[in-house]
Amino acid sequence: MSKSTDALDKQIAALHVTARSSSAYERKQMKVVGRGAQRLDAVGKATGETKYGQDLFRKGFLFAKALRAAHPHAEILGIDVREAKKVPGVAAVLTHKDVPGTNLHGLIRRDQEVLCSKKVRYLGDALALVVAKDEEIAEAALKKIKVDYKPLPALFTMEDALKPDAPKIHAEGNVLGEKHLRTGDAPKVMATADVVVEDVIQTQSVDHAFLDLEAGRARWDGKMLTIEVSGQWLHEERRLIALALGLPLEKLRIIQPATGGAFGGREDISIQIYLGLCALKLRGKAICMRYSRAESMIVRHKRHPIRVHYKLGAKKDGTLVAAQVTFYVDKGAYASTGIAVMRKASSHATGPYKVPNVWVDVIGVFTNNNPCGAMRGFGAAQTAIAYEGLMDRLAAKLGMDMAELRMKNLVTSGDAVTTGQIVPHATAVECFEAVLQRIGWSNRSYRTPAPHLKRGYGVSIICFGLGYGDGFPDASRARCRLTKDGIVELYSSGVDVGQGLINMVSQIAAEEIGVPLEKVRPILADTQLTPESGSTSATRQTYFTGSAVQLAAAELKKQLQDIAAAHLKELVYEIQIENGEAYNAVHPGKRLTLKELAREGTRRGFSLDATSVFKPPTMPEDTQTGQSMRAFVTYLFGSHACQLLVDTETGEVRIERYIACHDVGRAINPDQVIGQIQGGVTQGIGMALMEEVVLKNGKILNPGFTDYILPTIRDVPEIECIVLENPDPGGPFGARGVGEPPLIGTGPAILSAIYDAIGKPVHELPATPERIWRTISS
Amino acid sequence: MKTAANGLWPLRFKLNGKRVSKNVKPTQTLLDCLRLEFGLTGTKGACLEGECGSCYVLVDGRPMNSCMMLAPQVQGREVMTIEGLAHGKNLDVIQQKFIECGAVQCGYCTPGLIVAAKALLAANPHPSRAEFLVGMEGNICRCTGYNKILRACELAADQMGLTK
Repeated sequence: MSKSTDALDKQIAALHVTARSSSAYERKQMKVVGRGAQRLDAVGKATGETKYGQDLFRKGFLFAKALRAAHPHAEILGIDVREAKKVPGVAAVLTHKDVPGTNLHGLIRRDQEVLCSKKVRYLGDALALVVAKDEEIAEAALKKIKVDYKPLPALFTMEDALKPDAPKIHAEGNVLGEKHLRTGDAPKVMATADVVVEDVIQTQSVDHAFLDLEAGRARWDGKMLTIEVSGQWLHEERRLIALALGLPLEKLRIIQPATGGAFGGREDISIQIYLGLCALKLRGKAICMRYSRAESMIVRHKRHPIRVHYKLGAKKDGTLVAAQVTFYVDKGAYASTGIAVMRKASSHATGPYKVPNVWVDVIGVFTNNNPCGAMRGFGAAQTAIAYEGLMDRLAAKLGMDMAELRMKNLVTSGDAVTTGQIVPHATAVECFEAVLQRIGWSNRSYRTPAPHLKRGYGVSIICFGLGYGDGFPDASRARCRLTKDGIVELYSSGVDVGQGLINMVSQIAAEEIGVPLEKVRPILADTQLTPESGSTSATRQTYFTGSAVQLAAAELKKQLQDIAAAHLKELVYEIQIENGEAYNAVHPGKRLTLKELAREGTRRGFSLDATSVFKPPTMPEDTQTGQSMRAFVTYLFGSHACQLLVDTETGEVRIERYIACHDVGRAINPDQVIGQIQGGVTQGIGMALMEEVVLKNGKILNPGFTDYILPTIRDVPEIECIVLENPDPGGPFGARGVGEPPLIGTGPAILSAIYDAIGKPVHELPATPERIWRTISS
Repeated sequence: MKTAANGLWPLRFKLNGKRVSKNVKPTQTLLDCLRLEFGLTGTKGACLEGECGSCYVLVDGRPMNSCMMLAPQVQGREVMTIEGLAHGKNLDVIQQKFIECGAVQCGYCTPGLIVAAKALLAANPHPSRAEFLVGMEGNICRCTGYNKILRACELAADQMGLTK
């Protein structure tokens, strides 16, 4: 098996390397890639000029508002909108009867109605839309809509939902699906293992809490329905909207406004179909819509709360021999991306550790809570908390140093990870050594200023499969063209949600062609103009779209070299393009500017326009064993270390030092890489210590930032970043990606340090002062 | 408190250095008024309950959550928004440092943070690290992890000290 994987790896690596024009020599001479060029959109953002969804509203636009379910689980017997329609200033009141298409959406399964017709399954379900002159009128009209419900018994826990006589939330039952992974014979080996540790860890519901609330506008002119709402995958949104509204794709245009954060929270459809429907019914009118923070939190999907039963067996010397893991995943009311999250949990069940015998079951259970879906870390974040937590418990039981135990079991180059995939270049050890050295592991001090303050140290290691993998036909496309003004226009549908994609693609194009960054004009995220680039998720944009851009840029460069060679009457392989000028590198003489090249191209009838597709293959995981020779296109490695103080009287935690090391392959823009690491760690601090969506009977008790606690500047220490660059053969200039791993490493490192400080593990997230205090007191 | 016959309030105040007047709904928040009536969309709404600082504006030099004020409350007062900070193409030193330090990611919290820093540095030109942390704790940023924001603020303070 490993042989054929090796062969495949080589084939793919060779494919990519030969497709790229950059020689090793050129890489050393990079002028744009590897530099912390200033964000191209920073000035607009710092002056307030940049337009986000809500900034597109104008006086005179109509406002849309949605009626939400009054019960978490109920049959709809009737909806009466007659009174609402009579409210002065109301332009339309719409229900499922007005939806011309399937009225369904959902990223993997189309199981969610846009406007519910027969049943509501959680309090965020919509039943009707009102369009009015202003929001107050719309609000007043919503109150006039009469819905006749037959409340059904609602299910708020997985236990209740799994009972044989439980009411069915969906026709097929309350189990969304199962995932399994089997290698070796875990039960047999576990029974004879020298040491076994076992525990149950419960993670919580987390909100993305991006600041830029769902908002946007739409207009239907009879030929084209234009929707401007921030999402994470324009073309998929266009497909879902088109199906739901029964509109051909070519009549639908999606434009991404500036986007104030996403973190997975814009993967599911939000207001796009509502806006599209209202616009279709009110031809020629501009419609706008925005959520309040409460509506945003009540409606949007969440990070899956997962209960992990984890059993880990080892030899006396600490060598891991078996793992048995069951994940119970609260899906909430709809499938969303749940199956993919469950699969990411199973495929990362043992993280960076070599375990020869593994048994994993993942069960996704529908409840009448908020749907759960994508959020930075996507199942791998919850899993890391479990496997690292068990490593700490094992170290304690063996009386071994937690770092020594981990080092002993880490995957190294040529080892297989949980899915059986061989990782040819594993740098887990390198990352781990870097953080241990930086924090001074062997000289760590437990002396504190007062006896009630206990110090703890924690570590974590990340091994993360990039992209969707699993045989999904994932692809990014890009286009580069030279305008007559000598500007390289770069087209991609990748969305910049704040992470810095705009610089990533521009710096890659500039470097590849040999032009200064200011000669590149990125044109992003408009389905009329830009080719499909897949989703901004799964840490995939640098690797996928970055590669597509590099390929298109390389092709454009060749076209420019051909033109230059013809014009200069030189040999094409002697033509160099540097700093926006083409010249003979062997016999430097006349130089052609980009503008001259463009003119010369036009004169000779060449369009100077290149497109590309980057579509590296992966292989589906076996449904029974979860094994795949190429479950993911590549793996990312990182390691974190944390030093903190616990106040044993109050349970409060103060993080004293935080170190994060990530092997990003190549930092296309090192400043942005550090921004991603620091931001990811901060979200991880939130998840570990304070963030929790509190649900009672399907209702969110803290739908706002007063009670949903987010990290502030006072909660975040200096985050010391170590960026390693071991190039990936498939990534652009060797880049891998960095989006999710920083978050994944943080929760486990902090929990590990709390355990180290107080001598007992916290089982439930977040580790609030109360939970820590109760753990100490128990 | 007088309202016009149509229920609108005759609002007059100084906005980014200019006297302005407009008849507005007395129940409109200052945030919506600035954005919808005056078209100044640089001030952002995010939590809409005074917790995140995205909507900070300076009212008579003090940072205020514009989502928590009604428009008539600024009657006769002086309001400065993010749009009032730069002079043409010359950015305020705080804006420059935010850009240079990479303190801007998604950018949605940025105007509020810059306004908060402006107020802090006007009141206290040489804040200690601890004073910076207290002064900026009313602003939520979900992207950056605050490290670069703090650095941008400290560098801006340094530069303002030098140019004084």
